[in-house]
Amino acid sequence: MGVFTRRKAAEETGDEKQKLATTKSLEENIDMLKKLLADCNDVVYKEFRVGVDQDNDFVLVFTDGLIDKSFINEAVMGELMIHAREVPPEAPKDKEKLFELVRYGCLPALELKVIENLDDAVLAILTGDAVLFMDGVSKLIEIGAKGWPGRSVSEPATESVVKGPRDGFTETFRFNTALIRRRIRDPKLKLKQMQVGRRSCTNIGIMYIEDIALKEIVDEVERRLKTIDIDGILESGYVEEFIEDNPFSLFPHIKSTERPDKAAASLLEGRVVILVDNSPFVLIVPVVLTSFFQASEDFYMRWIPITVLRFLRYFAGLISLIAPALYIAVTSFHPGILPTQLVLSIAAAREGVPFPALIEALIMEVTFELLREAGVRLPVLIGGIVGIVGGLVIGQAAVEAGIVSPIMVIIVAITAISSFSIPDYAFANAFRILRFLFIIAAGFLGLYGMVLMLLLVLGHMVKLKSFGIPYLSPFVSFTASDMKDTIPRVPMFYMRNRPLNTAVDKIRMINNRHMINNIEASKSSSDKGGKTDDKK
Amino acid sequence: MIKSNDRISPYQLAMIVIMAVIGAGAFHFINDAVMAGGNNSWLILILYGFVNIAAAWILITLSKRFPEKSFPEYIQEIIGVIPGKIVTIIFVGYLLIIISFEIREFTEVAKMFLLPRTPTEIIMLTLILTCVYVVRGGVECVSRVVEVLFPLLFIPFFLILLPGIGTVDLTNIFPVFRHMGSGTVKMLPQMPHAFRGTELLLFYIGFMKKPQKAYKPVTIGLMFVTFFYAVIILLSMGMFGVKGTTREIWPLISYIRNIQSPGLFMERLEGVALSLWVMTVYSTIVLGYFASSYSISKVVGTKEHRQYVLPLVIVIFYIALQPAGLAQLYDWGNLMYKYISSIFIYVLPLILLAIAALRKRGIKDYEKA
Repeated sequence: MGVFTRRKAAEETGDEKQKLATTKSLEENIDMLKKLLADCNDVVYKEFRVGVDQDNDFVLVFTDGLIDKSFINEAVMGELMIHAREVPPEAPKDKEKLFELVRYGCLPALELKVIENLDDAVLAILTGDAVLFMDGVSKLIEIGAKGWPGRSVSEPATESVVKGPRDGFTETFRFNTALIRRRIRDPKLKLKQMQVGRRSCTNIGIMYIEDIALKEIVDEVERRLKTIDIDGILESGYVEEFIEDNPFSLFPHIKSTERPDKAAASLLEGRVVILVDNSPFVLIVPVVLTSFFQASEDFYMRWIPITVLRFLRYFAGLISLIAPALYIAVTSFHPGILPTQLVLSIAAAREGVPFPALIEALIMEVTFELLREAGVRLPVLIGGIVGIVGGLVIGQAAVEAGIVSPIMVIIVAITAISSFSIPDYAFANAFRILRFLFIIAAGFLGLYGMVLMLLLVLGHMVKLKSFGIPYLSPFVSFTASDMKDTIPRVPMFYMRNRPLNTAVDKIRMINNRHMINNIEASKSSSDKGGKTDDKK
Repeated sequence: MIKSNDRISPYQLAMIVIMAVIGAGAFHFINDAVMAGGNNSWLILILYGFVNIAAAWILITLSKRFPEKSFPEYIQEIIGVIPGKIVTIIFVGYLLIIISFEIREFTEVAKMFLLPRTPTEIIMLTLILTCVYVVRGGVECVSRVVEVLFPLLFIPFFLILLPGIGTVDLTNIFPVFRHMGSGTVKMLPQMPHAFRGTELLLFYIGFMKKPQKAYKPVTIGLMFVTFFYAVIILLSMGMFGVKGTTREIWPLISYIRNIQSPGLFMERLEGVALSLWVMTVYSTIVLGYFASSYSISKVVGTKEHRQYVLPLVIVIFYIALQPAGLAQLYDWGNLMYKYISSIFIYVLPLILLAIAALRKRGIKDYEKA
């Protein structure tokens, strides 16, 4: 039986004895370990003897590069090899007693854990901890000494803001949990950890605030995460695909973000945050359509401009979805809708274009998508060249060659700019594909086809749920108070309730704005506060 | 885990009433109403609105006796299994004809103003297939889609009607109150035409958690419908006068056509209005379509209704192709609305309620149960 089967069996039966047991002999243990870790040349076996008489054999095993060497030197090797000789304690002859002494009295490391089987030891070694083997004892000591080269906290590349915190999640799981914990100092903020992936053993954490998030949702997240049985999880995108409600939908219904402030805000709204090791993107569930049009900046700036900008964003979403389709529908099916002057100028511009509007639009849209796709992964230096080529091809050459009309160029440009105004990249991608469906629908049935397409999309969105929450809420199962943070963003002091209607503790703040101008009222209330809470 | 809830909220019920009642017929209905009622038609319509609210209350009172059961289920309790199934099948047949009629009527309008060169069959088939997707999703999807469509449809639609008000001459509606009595009698056959769709409440109240709460949303919904009809009749009469309105087949579209709005990006709005109107036709169809496929599943005795949705496409398509042209379509429609619709809206619920009361079926007082 291999490591994975044993580990799985132990997990399923709950019986730790399924795992490979250790023996009392150091030699046998190390032999078995070396067999398990054969040809792993980055694993280091440091053998040393401890005690005045040098009669206790120890072996420290760790993976080179994953541990903090100076820490190991200081807290393990230094203590055991030097200090143990400087001040000779009455080293007990009984090996069990010696183990107790080492475990509780000798090692000044912060994380110590006793493990009793080799499978766990292997996992610990490969995770970046050091494992101390002692002769004559079957128990092993796991010393937390993780220290690998990692990216430090830096500004997120995909979600930059003008105003707001500039720290972003990194690839290190522990940094990420700390970034969230730093924002919410609440004992009710819970972190449930588990390991997923048979070979990768990736740490996955579920964070939620106990008395805000609905327990059913937390349990459901946990249940779905436990169903994942895969060799390795390399990014939170893997997890997303495994746990989302409808993997065949175009629309993302799990939000991923690089911003700790966004994650913290979601937690306070009663959502659940899923952190995955090695990924700077954390997942937020459940989310609804409107969450993809919100930027974290929306809450850091004054509400009037933000409300206007939100309207603009939704408008941009609409434009990026239907602008080319509308052009096709109007020019080739219903030119009567437009004023005569405009129809004439469009007709004049289209004169000489050999294709119908549908083909014209498809040519331009496909060209644009090609340029965009080419530009995404290119190094910055070459990326500029793509821009020039694109500008020439889209802007000028195609028009001069008479393949497309100048108006089509304007339409494509507006569409492109609009699609960049949608704050969420994954969501904008869904609109990119839908745009082509709309173009085709408009090409065949004009405005009628567009409306049918819209009805299909709506019908789909209405079916969609994110962890039991309707995707289109609060527009479906309509509740007026939930509209405060959707298309408008009302002043924060009016958002008395949490926007997610599954939140258990619904009230998030008390509006004391009236006290600002009423000094008497605020004084009396602060007096009252003083009486109830003496520490203040 | 939060299961898919097959429940309808009171708010959704109001939307269902509005979207089920207002359909493609609204275009032609103005013509019929004004022809029968003349200057007073809008007043008479408001009167009929209240009559229909009363009729809908009878419907609710009937449905309320059988909480969490819809028409095909409780009718078997009231009049026995076999007769119940027969009535349900007749009802389904009626619904399918109504749906087909709705589709055909809209197709004729769309062909005239939107897609003159597209074959009728294509327009109809695409519309039916679009509906299939949502109907398969069950009552939850149907009610939600209707809920979302309501603001999407009516806000822009009223905005389109707005710029025409400048050309409306309200003196055209005078004299009012003259020949009110004879107008009321003459317009009576048009009443079921206007308020067709209320019979679907027989199905949808069964999906409510608390059916005794249905009175308010249904009343509000029907009041909105009445208001909407009154407004469009007033606008058409104001623009064309009584004689002019009766001369137009679709007075509302002609009204929108006549709107002059200098400086607007768009010049002729009837294309836009008609594209918006697809939504109401769609929701009318979806609501009837779901009710019929659900009834079939109850008659046959299967748990799911999904497998009946696609085969019904053929039936609806076939029926919709039957009328030879617009004239025949409206002839048949008049017959159907005058007689069959009124049976299902007014007569059948009353009879069923009487039988249920006599046979003591269902719960009389929901609160006490």
